[in-house]
Amino acid sequence: MNVLEVSDLKVRYSAKGPEILKGIDFEVKDDDFLAIIGPSGAGKSTLIRAVNRLVEPTGGRITLLGEDVRNLNPRQLRGLRRNVGMIFQEFNLINRMSVMDNVLSGRLGYTGNLRSLFRAFPQSDVNQALYYLDRVGLSDHINKRADELSGGQRQRVGIARALMQRPKLLLLDEPTSALDPKISREVMHLIRDIALELKVPALCNIHDVQLAKEFCNRIIGMQDGIKKFDGATETLRDADLEEIYAMEVL
Amino acid sequence: MTEQAITAKLPSNGPTWSRYRYPESLYRFGTLLVVVLFLGYSLHFLNVDIAKLIGALGRLVGVVSDRYYPPDLEYVLDRGYLAAILDTLQMSFLGSFAGVCLAVPLAWFSAGNVTPHRVMFPVGRLGVISCRAIHETIWTILFVSVLGFGMLAGVSALTMFCIGFAGKLFADEIEAIDMGPVEAMQSAGANPLQVFLFAVVPQVRVAFTGIAIYTWDVAFRAATVVGFFGGGGMGWYLKRNVQQLENLRVAAIILSIIAMVLIAEFLSGYLRSAVNRAK
Amino acid sequence: MASLDVNPAAISLQADLRRRRFTKMGLIWLAVLLFIGWCVSGTIIADTDWSRIGGRSGVLASIGRYLTLDIGLFPELIIPTLETFMMACVGTVLGCFFSLPVAWLGAANVTPSKTILYPIGRFLMVLSRSVHEIVWALIFVSAVGLGALPGILAIAMRSVGFISKITAEAIENIDAKPVEAIRAVGGNQFQVMYYGILPQIYPVVLATVIFEWDINIRRSAVMGLVGAGGLGLLFFRQMNSFNYGGVSMVILAILLLIVLGEVISHYLRKAVI
Repeated sequence: MNVLEVSDLKVRYSAKGPEILKGIDFEVKDDDFLAIIGPSGAGKSTLIRAVNRLVEPTGGRITLLGEDVRNLNPRQLRGLRRNVGMIFQEFNLINRMSVMDNVLSGRLGYTGNLRSLFRAFPQSDVNQALYYLDRVGLSDHINKRADELSGGQRQRVGIARALMQRPKLLLLDEPTSALDPKISREVMHLIRDIALELKVPALCNIHDVQLAKEFCNRIIGMQDGIKKFDGATETLRDADLEEIYAMEVL
Repeated sequence: MTEQAITAKLPSNGPTWSRYRYPESLYRFGTLLVVVLFLGYSLHFLNVDIAKLIGALGRLVGVVSDRYYPPDLEYVLDRGYLAAILDTLQMSFLGSFAGVCLAVPLAWFSAGNVTPHRVMFPVGRLGVISCRAIHETIWTILFVSVLGFGMLAGVSALTMFCIGFAGKLFADEIEAIDMGPVEAMQSAGANPLQVFLFAVVPQVRVAFTGIAIYTWDVAFRAATVVGFFGGGGMGWYLKRNVQQLENLRVAAIILSIIAMVLIAEFLSGYLRSAVNRAK
Repeated sequence: MASLDVNPAAISLQADLRRRRFTKMGLIWLAVLLFIGWCVSGTIIADTDWSRIGGRSGVLASIGRYLTLDIGLFPELIIPTLETFMMACVGTVLGCFFSLPVAWLGAANVTPSKTILYPIGRFLMVLSRSVHEIVWALIFVSAVGLGALPGILAIAMRSVGFISKITAEAIENIDAKPVEAIRAVGGNQFQVMYYGILPQIYPVVLATVIFEWDINIRRSAVMGLVGAGGLGLLFFRQMNSFNYGGVSMVILAILLLIVLGEVISHYLRKAVI
């Protein structure tokens, strides 16, 4: 079964602005760890954000976990979003809050306003947070403020926060491009291992082709809002890469 | 993974976590409690009727619509009152001009990094702080008692106010300058005045111009009320009509004050952005 | 040193430019001086009763009257000083409560309605600042009667403008990334504000509130002049009974209170940042 099906997806930010996505079709299967590659400005980030409507699509159809995303009202949309874990390029942590509070904020979709006000998360959430913090190797930093951590550690907080949602799909927006190469590899390893362990499919937008080839089973190549390649990692040839990156000025 | 599975994976003697830690949380809640108690006690001490406090804004609307509506606009278009507006404007110009002129040397003395002499530093600081600390209305009353009713007292009070206001901003600005040119001048053997004129002034000229315009804007706001205490201008009309319970005229005067202040603020904002663009 | 080759035409051009600049500056200063002169003649010269001031000796004599201290007034000072301090504190806190909704309406990126409520929020900010605290106090004295309450309300209303303006600017300048993260986990509007926006703005807001509190002590000290209690009332009474030593005592108390406020706010601001 497909977790996510996208057909003819179109996005433009303003009525007169350029079309960022010009009709994209693809699907994510239960066991996919799917990479989206392409030059900067190809629309990779927009594509990821259109899936859970952080960016409003202007055309096409998105079916996520069996629901038509574009027809949801705000309440239903929030209900859907809490099933989708998202990991960001710049980590998107709340800098002035502790690591623990950042991780617990992954549960906000399941938490009422009164509990949110006093940050009184249920004990089960706290236990879960402790478990995932241990899993990503941050047990010693629980009470530190998020802005005291290094880049790699901060991305680990971001991973733990996404896992707190018990996601049915992971959206990864350039999870490693703000990190140095060694840390990037570690972080990708961690994400892939967890995705396999929890049997969560992932849609990963990634700049580094080497990392994509190493960690992902399927690759989509994009260029200027159009899909140029879609197939298993082994089938990606150098000629395909050249075509995808043809327009990038190096 | 289910909750049970996660709970099972956590060792029973493993990590636990609580938001509340001893003693930091205790201090935090203690401080909060003390502040809340102090505020509550203040309300009690000041004899504030809570019901009145809650209903105050509603009452305000009622009072305004009962007693102050409709404002007597003819009164503020009268020649005498228009002259008072002009007086107020002139007072604010004079006060801010004199205040800014006096504030520059005081700010120079009171800037820790370029102060000409160790003795001048406290003199400048004290001068600026005491001008600031005393509210413009108190300055007005004091000057009225020395110089008599009239605009001389008002202008003097505004001058003191502007020294305090501009002096602090000027000093902050001077303290933030790049010290490179200052050191270069000093090592070339320049005296403190030369250092100030050639190393400090060029760096702060634009900022000072902006602050001076802002000072006029704020001084105009103050100038609208110095008359209330005998300093001349619009405030004097306000006082007379408040005392005679001419509420409709009071409403019109307040409206005219708001309108004038808005114009002044718009003008000062425009001039300041023009100055910033010109740099 | 080698002789420098300089084009004589360039020198004369330079001199010409300089002369023109001097003329321009001279004209500007002349205009300013004429303007100031006009202001002086319009206000001070026309409006001052020089004979009543009584010359230099008269002025010095009137100033001299203030150079005594009425130590006997000390016990009467304590309670008004406390009142003034408390009025400033309560007024500032109340002002914060009023500022919250105004900042919410007046911040372009979170306002519920850009066409109607945003201009209202902006207008309230300007209104609060353009009315002097004395005028606010007069309005509230006539609305709720004499006492500390109109003083507190006047201080609160006067504080709203600055606090809400800075808060709205802070909201407009926040980093959008944490907000996006909270939206992505399925957070609602309240959670986005409480987790995404509030942690980013509260240091700025707190520093502003402390700054405003410091100013409010000053304002609180004059509320009594129009019937709202505190040190201002005592000042007024001493002035009316021509007890100049007492006036000096009250001013001294105000100064002490303000220095205290400045010291406290200095340390509080350090603690916040």
